[in-house]
Amino acid sequence: MTQPVIELAGLHVRIGKREILRGLNLELRGLTVGLLGPNGAGKSTLINTLLGFWKPTQGTARVLGYDVRTDARQIRAQIGYMPENDSFISDMAAISYVRMAAELSGLPAEAALERAHEALFYVGLGEARYRKLGAYSLGMKQMAKLAQAIVHGPKLVILDEPTNGLDPQARLRMIRLIQEMRALGTMHLVICSHLLRDIEETCEEAVILKAGQIVHYSNLEEERASNRRFIEIETEGDDGTFADAIERLGCACAVTTPGRIKTVLPEGIEVRDIYRLAADRDVQLRRLNFRRDSLEDIFLKAMA
Amino acid sequence: MAVYKRTYRGYSGALTNPAWRFLVLQRYAFKAVFRSRFLLIGYVGCFIAPLLCLCVLYLNQNASVLSMAGEKPGFIKIDAAWFQNLLSFQGILAGLLTAFVGPTLVAPDLANGALPMYLSRPFSRAEYILGKGMVLGSLIGSITLAPLLICFIVQSSLVGFNWFTKNSYLGTGIVLSSLLLMAVLILLGLAMSAFVRWRLVAGALILGVFAAGKGFGAVINAVMRNGAGYYFDIQYLLSTAAASLFGHSADDDPISPLNAWIAIIVFCSLLLLLINRKLRVCEVAG
Repeated sequence: MTQPVIELAGLHVRIGKREILRGLNLELRGLTVGLLGPNGAGKSTLINTLLGFWKPTQGTARVLGYDVRTDARQIRAQIGYMPENDSFISDMAAISYVRMAAELSGLPAEAALERAHEALFYVGLGEARYRKLGAYSLGMKQMAKLAQAIVHGPKLVILDEPTNGLDPQARLRMIRLIQEMRALGTMHLVICSHLLRDIEETCEEAVILKAGQIVHYSNLEEERASNRRFIEIETEGDDGTFADAIERLGCACAVTTPGRIKTVLPEGIEVRDIYRLAADRDVQLRRLNFRRDSLEDIFLKAMA
Repeated sequence: MAVYKRTYRGYSGALTNPAWRFLVLQRYAFKAVFRSRFLLIGYVGCFIAPLLCLCVLYLNQNASVLSMAGEKPGFIKIDAAWFQNLLSFQGILAGLLTAFVGPTLVAPDLANGALPMYLSRPFSRAEYILGKGMVLGSLIGSITLAPLLICFIVQSSLVGFNWFTKNSYLGTGIVLSSLLLMAVLILLGLAMSAFVRWRLVAGALILGVFAAGKGFGAVINAVMRNGAGYYFDIQYLLSTAAASLFGHSADDDPISPLNAWIAIIVFCSLLLLLINRKLRVCEVAG
């Protein structure tokens, strides 16, 4: 079994008099993990704890096998972090900024310059790399932050609200980049976002935090796979016996309103069997959907 | 440069020594500092007085020139007071330089929220402060420690080895006094830059600490008549401590060198406390 990327065991973090994280227990092994939760749930505190900015008051947190309490430096050497807020020097050119970030991570000056060029081209800022960061649009700033997070070739990249404030086109570009990084399979990604759609489109696992506690863990890949057997059908010309016929095929079936049927296909039964049955009975299938238990449903259930 | 490779790849090459990584910050900060032509001219101007002093040292030992003026070599007495006066003058310039450069170091990082970018890397707060401090340190050192040491070496070579052995304590005084001045100005520059995010205000505050301390101290001295006000006068404290290092403290000084040292240590501790408080990654949403 692979080593967990993030391992939390009874993690408590107290800042001042407030206990922000309350006994988190979790093992994450996936390539992309989404961190969800309403404002004040403790997402940023968890990220800051993983980065070693806050020390756990109780319990342990391990990142890539290193303890955040004692090995913060080793952890940071293997992490790339894209903060939520502006985090740059406005009168610095993007190329200098990303190069400096690489050098601070330990790359020699020449290698840092080469990789800064590559990283900026990779995120789509190649043509604008000599422009000052202060003159960048919000979308470009987000991309520059992503470039500094990946320039040193980290094993784990933490993205805090990567699509925050982006227009639809820029958001799509960011999502595609994240998907591309996931597809490469060389780095793990932790994505913290309020936007459920972003997490749904990019992550394999999702962790939902509420009031400093994990209220739900979901393996989105597995849920997607299981949802492939769940079908919603809308019919026309059904005399009320079509649902019985489906049941006789061996499917669990429920009629919600006349002409609307929900069914789960067991192993060995395929969608074409439903089509055949409809053709035999002269029933029109107006709609046939694989039901997706969307992340929104999961999130709302967790928040309830 | 492999810019055509527009795909992501990991890095598996050699890494630099972590112990010297703070110098990266210094290099980038230097570039930013010397982008200002005004500052560059000012910095070059800081070397005028040491150059004049070098000329004086040379002429002071040049028999043929001095004979034209009817004087003998060694006409000007080169002693602890001479070096301390030069250090005091250069110290004032160093203070002005700190007021210009200091605010450009930390304030922009805080204003732009850049600390998480620095500190999410294998790079500590101490290294950050060291890297930024080195910028001020090397600038101040180059206009105080370096010229004074050069003057000392030139004087030794002009007068002879006997003068050097007899006055070697001056060399020690120059090094220690310059280091003390550097430490105070570095901490003051960084603390004010961290305390106020507006560069102009931070620069004014740096100068204000000296001016206000002097003024406040004078008021206390006038009211209480016991010399307690000198504890607020940083310039006075520094010159008293430097005098003790040059070995010519006066017995009738209102505050003793030991007390001056204690006051400076307390002042520096307060500045360190301020830096420690202000330079934090404040990303708490919890």
